[in-house]
Amino acid sequence: MKLIKREYCKGCQICVWVCPKTVYDEGSEFSDMGYLVPTVERYDDCIDHNRIKKGLKQACELCILSCPDQAIRDDLYGDE
Amino acid sequence: MMGEELFLQGNRAVVEGALYAGCNFYAGYPICPSTEILEIMSTRMPETGGTLIQMEDELSSIAAVIGASWGGAKSMTATSGPGFSLMQENIGYAVITETPCVIVDVQRGGPSTGQPTLPAHGDIMQARWGTHGSHSIIALAPSNIKECYELTVEAFNLSEQFRTPVIILSDGELAHMRERIEITDMPIVNREQFPEGKVSFPVDPNEEGVSPFPTFGRGHRTHVTGLSHTIVGYPSEDTEVQGKLIDRIIGKIENNKDTICKYEIINPDAKHLLVAYGIPARSAKDVVLNREDFGLFRPLTVWPFPSKAFIRATEDVKSVLVVEMNEGQLFREVERHACRAGVENVGLCSKLDGEMPTPQDILESHADMEVDQ
Amino acid sequence: MTHFKVYREDRWPHMFCPGCGIGTTMSCFQRAFVNQGIDLDKTAFVSGIGCSSRVSGYVYADSLHTTHGRGLAYATGLKLANRDLDVFVFTGDGDLGAIGGNHFIQACRRNMDLFVICVNNNNFGMTGGQASSTTLHGYTTSTTPGGNPEYPFDLARLAAAAGANYVARYTSAHPKQLIRVMEEGMNRKGFRFIEAWVACPVYFGRYNKLKTPVEHLEWLKENSVHIEQMKADGRTSEDDIDLHVAGKITVGVIRDAERKSYIESIEGDD
Repeated sequence: MKLIKREYCKGCQICVWVCPKTVYDEGSEFSDMGYLVPTVERYDDCIDHNRIKKGLKQACELCILSCPDQAIRDDLYGDE
Repeated sequence: MMGEELFLQGNRAVVEGALYAGCNFYAGYPICPSTEILEIMSTRMPETGGTLIQMEDELSSIAAVIGASWGGAKSMTATSGPGFSLMQENIGYAVITETPCVIVDVQRGGPSTGQPTLPAHGDIMQARWGTHGSHSIIALAPSNIKECYELTVEAFNLSEQFRTPVIILSDGELAHMRERIEITDMPIVNREQFPEGKVSFPVDPNEEGVSPFPTFGRGHRTHVTGLSHTIVGYPSEDTEVQGKLIDRIIGKIENNKDTICKYEIINPDAKHLLVAYGIPARSAKDVVLNREDFGLFRPLTVWPFPSKAFIRATEDVKSVLVVEMNEGQLFREVERHACRAGVENVGLCSKLDGEMPTPQDILESHADMEVDQ
Repeated sequence: MTHFKVYREDRWPHMFCPGCGIGTTMSCFQRAFVNQGIDLDKTAFVSGIGCSSRVSGYVYADSLHTTHGRGLAYATGLKLANRDLDVFVFTGDGDLGAIGGNHFIQACRRNMDLFVICVNNNNFGMTGGQASSTTLHGYTTSTTPGGNPEYPFDLARLAAAAGANYVARYTSAHPKQLIRVMEEGMNRKGFRFIEAWVACPVYFGRYNKLKTPVEHLEWLKENSVHIEQMKADGRTSEDDIDLHVAGKITVGVIRDAERKSYIESIEGDD
């Protein structure tokens, strides 16, 4: 599952914009720092998720790379 | 080396002293009257296995010197007045990051371009207060070629022991003058390092206020910053952190003056005390050798000023005369201490034209003070 | 994904503003760095002053956060003193192109063995969005309220002209490409220069109708043209340093040469 670490997210919404499969929604809850944290809504559409299910290496990762706050993790890849 | 006799000019003596002390990195930019140091280094460094780079200006020279020190080198640069001004910001960086390095300032007449080939002592205060912010600094002033050599070794030793930049205040006269010197064995100090591997507290001061040096590339993973920083090395805006840091950085020099300060006293019982350093001290010495009523206090360590020794030297003294090649930059420091010691007659023999003050100039200045003989 | 083996996680969340492209550039760098298997214990990071220069404090390696504009000079000394170290320099357009401009071209000229990442946000972010030497002509900043009368430096072309071995440029809207050129640069010798144009929605964006990070990224993406495309279109380099008048941001590998590096030159054949 993709996780957005609420303590790190600054609500820039880049993940929502960058995802080619619109996995993320902009969210409705504010974090303790006062930022609107996006939510993972359509994880089944995630390119990397589907590749890993087929035993392939992840290839997209645009959200993880683009996130300026290093807030997005994916537990499938052994992230904490 | 020991017992070897050499006939050297001041600039070469600085180079040989630096190499004896273990200097293995030099970065510099040509400027009169310090240029020979860069030139001679450019052949001596490769011979001794060190690295020399001629940088694009003095800003980058001192920056490279500090960077090299973090890479584990004993590093040095040399310059003169205008270049020394350019270096000031980064000297402050060396102070707050506690980086050992040596800066040779071969002083010349100023302000600005001034007299590129003539001596002056216009950078005494610049050495002390040139960089911004509260700090303390070590500055040494040689008076002869032997001291150009020995004080350079001493400068490296002090910078390694106290993790601080050390300035050598030479001048255009010393730089190009030649004298015979005999090389004697001197102790060499190397910075204390952390054992290899991670360090939780890169700032871990001992009783003297000096922390071991976390040299880069040994697995310490230290963060070093010119910002006010905690003992973990991270930037901090905390006023308490800043207060403690600055107190310690100043304290490690001011509280260790007994170890740091060097001076020479001649005729300690004389009625009149001359205070001189650098090249004018030679004229002062001439006066003292010919007149029993004159004594000499010669600080080899200009900064920090050897207060205790000076106050002791002023006991039963009727007058103090400071001989300087500036408008009285050390004079104020001397006057301040003389007042504390109860000496009221404090005078200044000042030369500002690029000529050395002669013994006659000194005696005339003394006569002008109209002290009771 | 091993983000936080490269970072000092005890310092997170970092200080950069929401949507700041420095974080993206940092992520791309760490990916390239991990892919290349470089040893953190044999790596040093050097930076000057500015937003992007704070990156050195977030990387879990020996790092030197120095004075404004002088990062390259510090890095030169450090690299020469310990040639086993891989020295990376993080810098910004103000640090590198304005106050440190001379050190930049001189280090390129020497072909000094350094890997330099310039995070170009077209303004001085740390001090609140003043014009820098890469602010585009006509664009607004807090010190050019009527539009910038000056013309910007093209840092990548400047580096190439000054003699850097490897020069590439992309934007924070091109994370994959950034990683590719960073990895390629890590396998070159001498002076390697990666310029990353990034979103600065809080300062540069605010004054220039690019208020949200997404708007800023879209602007970067729309205005980027690959260098090969540029050549195919028959455009010259003069056309693309000035976004406002005619040009675009040329992205891609600007120079890939094999001139001897400084250290190779001084060490000779022995």
